[in-house]
Amino acid sequence: MNKPLPDPVPATAEEALVRWEAEYAAQIGGESPVHNRSGIAIKPLYTPLDVDPSRFDGEVGFPGQPPYTRGIYATMHRGRTWTQRQLIGLGTPAAYNARLRDILDQGASAVSLIPCNSVFRGYDMDEVDAELLGTCGVVANSADHMATCLEGVDLATTSCAMNDPSPFTLLAFMLAAAKRRGVDPRSLSGTSNQSDCLSHYVANHMFFRLALPGARRLLVDHIAWCGEHLPRWNPLSVVGQHMQQAGATPAEALGFTLASALQYADDCVAAGMSPDAFLPRFTFFFDISISFFEEVAKFRAGRRLWARLVRERYGARDPRSWRFKFHGQTSGVDLTRQQPLNNIARVTAQAIAGIFGGLQSLHTDAYDEALSCPTQFGARIAVATQNILREEAHLTDVIDPLGGSWYVEALTDAMEAKVLDVMAEVEAAGGMYAAVESGLVQRRIGESARRFQERIDRGEQTLVGVNAYQVPEEPDSRSALAKPDPGEMRAHLASFAAWKAARSAQSVGRALDALARDANDARANLYARVVEAAEAGCTHGEICGTLRRELGFGHPLVVV
Amino acid sequence: MDTPPKILITKIGLDGHDRGSRIVAAHLRDVGMEVVYTPPWQEIPAVVKLAVEEDVDVIGVSSLATDHLIVPKLMAALREAGVGDVAVIVGGIVPDEDEKALIDAGVARVFHPGAPLGEISSYVAAAAARVRAARFPT
Amino acid sequence: MSTASGRATPRGLAEKVRSIRAGQRAAIARAITELENGLPSAAALSAALESFAGRAQVVGVTGPPGAGKSTLVDALVRECVSRGRRVAVVAIDPSSPITGGAVLGDRIRMGAAGSDDAVFIRSLASRGHAGGLARPVRRIVDLLDAAGFDEIVVETVGAGQSDVDIASLADASLVLCPPGLGDDVQAIKAGILEIADLLVVSKGDLPQAERAERDLKDMLHLRAPCEGWRTRVLRTSATTGEGIAALADALDTHRAEVGAGRRHARGASPAHADPQAELRGFGERDPWQQHTAIRFVEGGPGRATMSMRVGREHLNFNGKCHGGAIFSLADSAFGLASNSHGVVAVGIDTHATFELAVGEGDLLVARAIETSRSARIAVYRVDVTREDGSRVSSFTGTVYRTRRRHDGGAPEGAA
Repeated sequence: MNKPLPDPVPATAEEALVRWEAEYAAQIGGESPVHNRSGIAIKPLYTPLDVDPSRFDGEVGFPGQPPYTRGIYATMHRGRTWTQRQLIGLGTPAAYNARLRDILDQGASAVSLIPCNSVFRGYDMDEVDAELLGTCGVVANSADHMATCLEGVDLATTSCAMNDPSPFTLLAFMLAAAKRRGVDPRSLSGTSNQSDCLSHYVANHMFFRLALPGARRLLVDHIAWCGEHLPRWNPLSVVGQHMQQAGATPAEALGFTLASALQYADDCVAAGMSPDAFLPRFTFFFDISISFFEEVAKFRAGRRLWARLVRERYGARDPRSWRFKFHGQTSGVDLTRQQPLNNIARVTAQAIAGIFGGLQSLHTDAYDEALSCPTQFGARIAVATQNILREEAHLTDVIDPLGGSWYVEALTDAMEAKVLDVMAEVEAAGGMYAAVESGLVQRRIGESARRFQERIDRGEQTLVGVNAYQVPEEPDSRSALAKPDPGEMRAHLASFAAWKAARSAQSVGRALDALARDANDARANLYARVVEAAEAGCTHGEICGTLRRELGFGHPLVVV
Repeated sequence: MDTPPKILITKIGLDGHDRGSRIVAAHLRDVGMEVVYTPPWQEIPAVVKLAVEEDVDVIGVSSLATDHLIVPKLMAALREAGVGDVAVIVGGIVPDEDEKALIDAGVARVFHPGAPLGEISSYVAAAAARVRAARFPT
Repeated sequence: MSTASGRATPRGLAEKVRSIRAGQRAAIARAITELENGLPSAAALSAALESFAGRAQVVGVTGPPGAGKSTLVDALVRECVSRGRRVAVVAIDPSSPITGGAVLGDRIRMGAAGSDDAVFIRSLASRGHAGGLARPVRRIVDLLDAAGFDEIVVETVGAGQSDVDIASLADASLVLCPPGLGDDVQAIKAGILEIADLLVVSKGDLPQAERAERDLKDMLHLRAPCEGWRTRVLRTSATTGEGIAALADALDTHRAEVGAGRRHARGASPAHADPQAELRGFGERDPWQQHTAIRFVEGGPGRATMSMRVGREHLNFNGKCHGGAIFSLADSAFGLASNSHGVVAVGIDTHATFELAVGEGDLLVARAIETSRSARIAVYRVDVTREDGSRVSSFTGTVYRTRRRHDGGAPEGAA
């Protein structure tokens, strides 16, 4: 016997901790520090010493009570699970409608319409390369097209998200279609997704229909108009997802998103709206990466921050204003082209993080998104993944099941601090508009994207099938791109041309003139003119084109 | 030749997701190349004019949302303008069947998601050297 | 060299010149590459084209980063095109001093003008001439002139020596002064106002623009009116288009009064006045630096930065970088910094520490700065760092400053 064995049971917790630390250090050898994607150092073990129990009342609390760290509703997923919202869009309106009905039959509970990139860019189908039409979204350019897209969908009971940046023509087309069907607009529910022009400006440039100042004004008009006419509609979705997909760390994505939300709220207040009138209709949209605990902490920190910010900054008094409602989408950047079926496992882990993070609505990516626009087969598995998690896995039995974990609580605090640093930098730059116009936000995101890629290239971040565990693959094992039927698309183009020729040129001209006039009148609500133009038979390209002429064409800031 | 390769990194078509093109552009700069970088949505004639005037050795086209479908049009336009010798690479989401069509249209190489930056820059350096050697024989 | 010049047959050269003179875009672009990269054929090409140059008005555009140079150039170029002119733009972006790489974004920031058939834009990387204009720029301007462009706009990096160099190249120097840079125009670097033929208050729609314009006019008023062209102050807004036509008018007036092709009248080439180029030349003539792959990065009076990528040949028997190699790098920076004042300086004493072992593939950078200098003795400190910023070596060195000058000129008057 060289030395006596230690007492198997330490006398005190402090002794036990000291002994564990010694044993850990001895056994682990030289360990390089572990950091999460946001750059927060992660310890090997968390103990009660890492959390301050006195903070429970003020900072953690109970679901449905400010600061909502544990959830924005008292019942959370035990009362009502999340909305299963699948983002789809492909081909012609008729093809979209068939796909949509299939997804609704499979168990999806809400619509999310994603338009063709030509629509995102503000063009009609006859203004772009025909090869590209409908390859990434539905080619919907008019109220008629929207009516076809939504045929057979009960608009009064189905929540419809329109992925439709400024000037929000898709919502205008939907309103026109609803009116023809005799549906009361006050019963329509859903979200103007992608209304966050800042996130587009920064991260993916998917709009650039309008220059930033014009988009800024239209957004405020849109929020005001919806507040007056569509009480169940959320006119703003502040999108952290774009920025995180573009490379922002989770903390940066949350920080920039909250800074954007404050910027929009400032604008609404400046336009004379009362905070408690518009804040309850603010929603958020986030990426859920596979960095599991970090995502859970991100969402918990987001709720707590938002509840505090809106009270401190705007004096919001209505609890509905304090609630941080968000839609989550599993991160496409984490998916790999190699061994694509592995993506089903990735999406599952991401989705669980979102569910434990307390989301209100969830989109799960199809496993084949890294290969092409999702196939119907892939989309079905994505829906089934949600069904399994919701109804088989018992994830929803307990509200905020990770709450009280010393790790998760400490990490929530650390994320909150990191997010506040990001927000302080934006504030110092003069707010989010100033920060993106100077390129600050783009640079930060670009730097983070590169750091992450370099970690993968160096092998510090494993990507199964990419830099580890590769297996030889036959090209055939990967699914092919589902392309729209060229015959259908040609017919769609032809009928669009015929319809344009047949409509009343006079009423179209009048509506576009009114739009152009009010674009130059800061007192007018410009969105009201967009709605009228859609009803008068104007096309998406005509509305966007008119506003571009009057408000300026959007160009991205080049930041490398 | 000891002067840096000159590369054009661009996006044609309708998609605006530029994370990949920005990362690649910054990486190529950092390994010593001279990179002309454009924002998304370049028109094909503008890309051709740019490639001619800048006399680039390699063009990298990023495509994440089916914009690769018009790359054959770009290839034809480059040939017509007399710069068919420039090496064109495509990076992004390109299904296998489409990759074959791109290679048939004259694209030198397609890089898929997950391609290490070092692999991309080594390939670009070699391709640029080949193009230069053919253009300026010694 | 002989094979290369052999390739440039008289017939090939004549054909090339003909294509360039005919304004063939691809031929012009390819020829610029030859000049930019200093290919063996460049000298003959330049010589063949020189006689055709001298017709175009060369407009230099400079100003601090963020002044809106590219935006203004875009608007100005479009204005010139609308007046029926053919315009070439040479846009210079900075190269990284360490890797030599560059992102050339100016032409993109220029936007609409680039797609016009009457416009030819070429981006150049500064390639280490961080302070001054790269030497080939003048030859490239001559080429574009010979190609028949009416206006040649040269947009500089907007920092350092290039601001002044541009004046020796341009017929009309346009200096941008964005409003709100500082409290007053003192913020514009001294020396720049002197070279300006046109002072342009950019972003003229900003509220502070009017005041900036007034301040500049006051300042010009204080200066004695020189003979010939009197510097004018204009206010432009690229957003509203205001003042752009007036700017083009002013350039026309300048051309009418002062003429074009001034660069050919001047004797001095900018390289002579450029300490950067001189130091680079020392490095290029230094066989030991060439042998050890030590590269000149940047330098000026009393300072020099050199880099060295540790290769196999730099290693010692332990597989680490040899101390002698590190010393050579530091000593090279010391040598250039101490010889940067025009006087031949010789080392008389050095000390070096070695603080960090570095290996193959590491990029080392040595920065030498002057800590003291008298008539005969000067002392330098050199820090050698690795790419990540960690310090590899600290070096101090003392030189004796001789009475000889590098240019062979008269001995310095000793104290």
